[in-house]
Amino acid sequence: MASPNLGIREHSHGGDVPISRLDVHGSFESANFPVPNGREEEWRFTPLRRLRGLHQGREIADGTVTVEVSGPEQAVVERVGREDSRLGASFLPNDRVSALAWESFTDFNPATVVTVPKDTELSETVFVKVTGTEQGDAFGHILVRAEPHSSATVVLEYAGSAVYADNVEFVVEDGASLTVISLQDWDSDAVQVSHQYATVGRDARFRSFVVTLGGDLVRLSPSVRYKGTGGDAELHGLYFTGAAQHHEHRSLIDHNESNTRSRVEYKGALSGEDAHAVWIGDVIIGEGTSGTDSYEHNRNLVLTDGTRVDSVPNLEIFTGEVEGAGHASASGRLDDIHLFYLQSRGIPPAEARRLVIRGFFQDLIGRIEVPELRDRIMDEVEEKLALHE
Amino acid sequence: MSDGYTRVCSLSDVPDEGALGVEVGGTPVAVVRSEGEIYAISDICSHAEVNLSEGEVEEGTIECWLHGSCFDLGSGKPINPPATQPVATYAVQIDGDDVLVSLDTQSSKG
Repeated sequence: MASPNLGIREHSHGGDVPISRLDVHGSFESANFPVPNGREEEWRFTPLRRLRGLHQGREIADGTVTVEVSGPEQAVVERVGREDSRLGASFLPNDRVSALAWESFTDFNPATVVTVPKDTELSETVFVKVTGTEQGDAFGHILVRAEPHSSATVVLEYAGSAVYADNVEFVVEDGASLTVISLQDWDSDAVQVSHQYATVGRDARFRSFVVTLGGDLVRLSPSVRYKGTGGDAELHGLYFTGAAQHHEHRSLIDHNESNTRSRVEYKGALSGEDAHAVWIGDVIIGEGTSGTDSYEHNRNLVLTDGTRVDSVPNLEIFTGEVEGAGHASASGRLDDIHLFYLQSRGIPPAEARRLVIRGFFQDLIGRIEVPELRDRIMDEVEEKLALHE
Repeated sequence: MSDGYTRVCSLSDVPDEGALGVEVGGTPVAVVRSEGEIYAISDICSHAEVNLSEGEVEEGTIECWLHGSCFDLGSGKPINPPATQPVATYAVQIDGDDVLVSLDTQSSKG
C-alpha cells in the first residue's frame, strides 16, 4: 500500500473512543482543529498555560526569529514563500499548532529550503541555526530535501528566546541518506512546539538525533512515514530536564510500506523540583504490509525528588506478517549496585554518580558524527548535572 | 492593597459551598467558600492540569472533578490519591464586600 495511514481517511476504526492514531485527521487549516483544553489524549500531558497562547492562535506576531544557514557549496539553500509548490508536499499538519505554524510562518521569515542534489555526498555538515532574538510569538518553516542517492548531515539548532512553533520537513528520496541533529538549546524562558515530518523513500536512510536541553517548555513531535520499500529510520533522543522545565517528545512511525525498518530510542535524565519529561512513542504497522522490523524504547533516569516522568509506548499492528515489533519503557533512579561497584574500586560517590550518568548518555552521544557537537552536548549535560550535586 | 493583597472579587460572587476561579497576576487562584469560611488556594490540581474551582466543595474540602482527589482547603494537602502533593494556599482578607488575596503570604488556617 502506497498511501500513508494517517490523516487521509474517515474514521476507519469506528467506535466512540478515538484511541487509535489512525483516527487523527490532518489539515492545513487551524480552524479544523478545536482549541485544545488539556483533556485531549494528545494534549493531556502538556501544561497548556505555559504554552503562552501558542495553541490558541492569538494572531499576535511580536517575536523575532532569525534563521542562518551555513554549509558546503554543493548544498543549495533557498528562501521561498508559501506559494512554492515544494513546501507542504510531504505532510499534513496533525494538530492545531502545526496548522497555525503553516498559516503564519510567512509573517516572520520565508521558509528555508536546503536541497542536497542527487548523487551528491556532502563533504561537510550543513548548519541551520534558528535564533529567537526578541521574546514573543513567532513561527517558522524548514524543508530539507535529500535527492536520490545523495548523502548529508544537517544540524538544526534552536537558541535564544521565543514562543515558537514550526514545521520541519525532511524528504529523503530513493536511495538517499540523511542524518539530522536537532539541538534544542533555548534560553530558560523559551517555549517551542515543533513538528518534524520525515518521508523516507525506497531504500533510503533517515537518522535523527533530537537533543533537548533548554527552554521552559519544549514539545517536539518527530514523525516518519515511508514512500517505498526498504526504508530505514532511526530516531534517537536525549534530554536533560532541569528544575521547572517541561520536555515532551512524541515520536510517530507509520510503517505504511512493506519491508521497512525503524528504531526509536529516547533517553532522558531529570533533576530538580518540577522537572517534567514526557515521551509518547507511536508505531503503526499498516494493514496489508509485510516484513516490518521495528522497536521503540524510552529510558529515564530520575536523579532527584520532585520530578515527574510520563512515558507511553504505543504499538498498533494491523497485519500478521511482521518481522519484529517491540516497545519498552523504564524509568528509575541510579542503580545502587552500579554505584557500590565503582565505590568499591576506590571511586568517590560523586564521581561514581557522574560516571554512571555519563555512561547512560555516552552510547547515544557517541553515535553523533559531528565531533564538536558531541563535546558540546556532553559539556552541557555535565553543567546541568553540577547544578544538583 | 498593602502586604501584596489584591482584590479578586466581591463576596457575593463566591457561591455557598462553591468556588470561583480568578487570576492574580497570572497565577490561577480558586476562591472557595465552605461552611461560611472563605479560602484561596491554587486553582491547578497538583496531579493533572485541571481547574479545582470547577470541582465540588464539601466540609472544608474541594474535589478535583477529573480524578477525584480532594484537597483540604486550609492546608492544601490532598486527602486521597491520585494527587500526592499539596496545592498552594493563600491568605485571604475580607474588606466589606471585597475579597482580597495575597500570593506572598500562605494561609495560616488549618
